[in-house]
Amino acid sequence: MDPKGDIFYIVQVLEGKINAFSYLVDKHKDKAYNLAFRICGNREEAEEIAQDAFLKAYRSLKDFKRKSSFATWLYRIVYNTAISLVRTRKNRVLSVEEFPVDAVDFLSFSSSEEEAADDYRNSLINFALQKISEEERGLITLYYYNELDTEEISKITGISRSNIKVRLFRARQKMAEIIRKVEMKNVFYHE
Amino acid sequence: MNNQEMNDDDLLRKFLNPERIEKAPEGFASKTLTRIQIETQSAKVNKDFFVKNRVPIISAATAAGLIIAAILIPSGETESVGSTIWKYIQDLEFTLPVINNNYFREFSLPGWVPYIIIGIFLLGFFDRALFGLFHKRKNP
Repeated sequence: MDPKGDIFYIVQVLEGKINAFSYLVDKHKDKAYNLAFRICGNREEAEEIAQDAFLKAYRSLKDFKRKSSFATWLYRIVYNTAISLVRTRKNRVLSVEEFPVDAVDFLSFSSSEEEAADDYRNSLINFALQKISEEERGLITLYYYNELDTEEISKITGISRSNIKVRLFRARQKMAEIIRKVEMKNVFYHE
Repeated sequence: MNNQEMNDDDLLRKFLNPERIEKAPEGFASKTLTRIQIETQSAKVNKDFFVKNRVPIISAATAAGLIIAAILIPSGETESVGSTIWKYIQDLEFTLPVINNNYFREFSLPGWVPYIIIGIFLLGFFDRALFGLFHKRKNP
């Protein structure tokens, strides 16, 4: 980790040193891409969203007030870009039956059993995420993957803290239900 | 969190590994920076347009300013432009309801204005011609 931090590089960029922006891209690209991917569920679109977000961030860097961290500000751009993109296209709703049976199916693509199980869990999470609304997907990603508290999430999404708690509760409930259903289906499959 | 919430949270944490984030594809950073560089260059080109065409732009703006000034200053009067504009604004409330033709009939350009305008346009034309000539030589 660079001890200089984001602000140092932001100042450099504002002074005209464009290359300093590469530090910010390198540092935040994975989490920005992950947020975009979890919301839209498509790798190509996620890449475009994340790139657009960085471009928007670069363009409006002079307007960055530093009241929040650069990451929070960037995630806000990613979140809004991804949500608006998803809202413009029709989502295909997957049924539980469409989900691959279990971890055994992942063995052919994975080098070990442990990796296969991890791939299975990740796919199941992606599957469950696609069954909830885009806003809920954003909240779940920010809470569980980016490990942000409700206050930070509120700054990113513009939703009040109490509302975030309610929506997280509902999203969690829906996802847990889907996971239980798939797991139950797998039990029957093996019997 | 109540029991139900805690159960759901536990289940999600069992399946969801925060370290298992979807990583940005290879070349993501370079692609993004290329896009930024292209954007910066095109912004510079737009900025350069005004620098390159500053003479015709200034000429046109000056000509427009002189024409407006000529319209506002009635011929034969020695009043300053400021006082004439102020007088014109003060007269607006009276002239707006009824169009006063006499006011417009009095308008005339001072004798030197056409020469100045022609001179400015000629200088602008010259500037463009010289720029085109040297620009071509630099970038054949």
